Amino acid sequence: MASPTAELSHLPKTDGSANFAYGGYTITAAVNGPVEAQRRDENPFEALVDVNVRPAAGVGGTGERQLEAILQPALRHLIPVRNFPRCVIQVTLQVMETPENAYVNPKVMQPRLNLGIIPALLHAAILGLLTAAVPMKTVASATCLVITDADGSSVKVDPTPAEIDQARSVHVLGFTAGRDLLLAESEGSFSADEWATVLQTAEKVCCRSQEAGGDAEMGGYGAESENVQQFMRSVLEAKAAEGLHWR
Amino acid sequence: MAPEVGLSRSTFAKLSPHPYLLANLEPSDDSIPPARSNGRAPFEVRKPTVNLSSLSHAHGSALVRTGDTTVICGIRAETILTDHIPNYRASNTQTELADYDLLVPNIELATGSAPQFLPGGPPTTLAQTLSTKIYTLLHSSKLLRAEDLRIWHNRPAEASFADEEEGAQESEEKEGEKYVVAYWVLYIDLFFISFDGNPFDAAWAATVAALRDTKLPQARYDPDREMILCSRKNPKPLAVESMPISCTAVIFTGKETKDQPADGKFWLLADPDTLEESLCDETVTIVIDCTGGSRKILSISKHGGTVMTAKLLTSKEFLDWASKRWEDFASAITGSQ
Repeated sequence: MASPTAELSHLPKTDGSANFAYGGYTITAAVNGPVEAQRRDENPFEALVDVNVRPAAGVGGTGERQLEAILQPALRHLIPVRNFPRCVIQVTLQVMETPENAYVNPKVMQPRLNLGIIPALLHAAILGLLTAAVPMKTVASATCLVITDADGSSVKVDPTPAEIDQARSVHVLGFTAGRDLLLAESEGSFSADEWATVLQTAEKVCCRSQEAGGDAEMGGYGAESENVQQFMRSVLEAKAAEGLHWR
Repeated sequence: MAPEVGLSRSTFAKLSPHPYLLANLEPSDDSIPPARSNGRAPFEVRKPTVNLSSLSHAHGSALVRTGDTTVICGIRAETILTDHIPNYRASNTQTELADYDLLVPNIELATGSAPQFLPGGPPTTLAQTLSTKIYTLLHSSKLLRAEDLRIWHNRPAEASFADEEEGAQESEEKEGEKYVVAYWVLYIDLFFISFDGNPFDAAWAATVAALRDTKLPQARYDPDREMILCSRKNPKPLAVESMPISCTAVIFTGKETKDQPADGKFWLLADPDTLEESLCDETVTIVIDCTGGSRKILSISKHGGTVMTAKLLTSKEFLDWASKRWEDFASAITGSQ
């Protein structure tokens, strides 16, 4: 699978923006905030985090509302919302591209939850928040895994849509930079032991960079998947260096 | 008894619910057992009660009540001819339910079921999220089999026009090729009569109970009128063998600010009510099926915080608690049949 690519601050009118592409998904995030909240929504003690997901085609349906409901608590946990009372931080995530599954008829309205897109949405949102200079307590990364029965119950990282369709169970797990489990969403059918294996694998995939030389012990799984936290750091370092070039 | 000083109990609860819940969970007096504001122990759930077939005009229905959350689910089946399905392929026998949208769940949070639901306006985010969750779980748990929703018809054997009239009639008598002429579409309508937290557990239990209660009429195709005719005799129940049950808990951290030390104290509050949901950021929902003795997990979702660690999520206590709740719900659903 191709390595992730990102473009930062490419939208001139927003406070922060980022374009993140990985595994066939391309997401554009636009972040505005903290700005004053509308009277009716405002919370006197903390900032409101408003997440909007827009699909590549058509208008958002119930599936997009569910994606927002998954991303909103995760982002709210990362932002120190208590520092910005009566404010709103608006995160708009526009899906630009999704990988195609040649085996099924595409539907414009997809009422079912699309788990595969969550990692890309989260990464784009975090890059957007960072370029908008919204303070954050920590960053997080997520990964998608499937358990397939094809070759004797194996765990696969970063599945294609066809693999997600045929998998016995699909899992999305997000970890903060401090190795805490931030979000988990699973569907399908699996046992408690498989769940433990999935959690371990996902933690290794998401938090791999932290110990030096961790790649050697990784061995079989995840060797092909990129470490997104490290990638986000290097992209932002490059952007900061470019910004300070005039000095 | 000591005279009341300052605020009364109920005023304290209304003014600052967060410290009130904390004071209840962490009583200063050791002789008082820790409890929540609603009097339940932290892991205690509200006992579910289920009433089946309460609606007379639906093909299957169930009313589920846990505490003050009451939801009624009605299932209405309608037929659709395969000729009217735009992307119909006769060779597709695997993904019919999803491809032809044979399951249509819808959730309505009735005005007056809780103070925050106002009349008019579009469906709230909560209603939309719940209906997606139900839809996704209906498909991912493979609760229903497509063969129960197929309506078959015998295509008369090809009779050549050159034959005599008697000959043509004879060949029509012969067994022709069997093919799917139509499908049943199940409209699963969930209606919250009263709402006091933990909507998904109640809504999902109502869906499962109603599907187990659903009986579809005998249907046959009339080629002359090109429509499906149904008879009320011998309605056929849907084959729903598994019984996935959803168990939700919230995590109360005892601190109103979100910045807390890593070793902060926390409580897992099972089956939260509206007040507890509003005080807690982190929720965990596990859908479990223990039918036939083996424990299968069908979905886990955890959002909004990092207190619930991976270790806790795989811990035996957590899974045993979910299994126990499964037994409660399963006996409530099967007991009322």
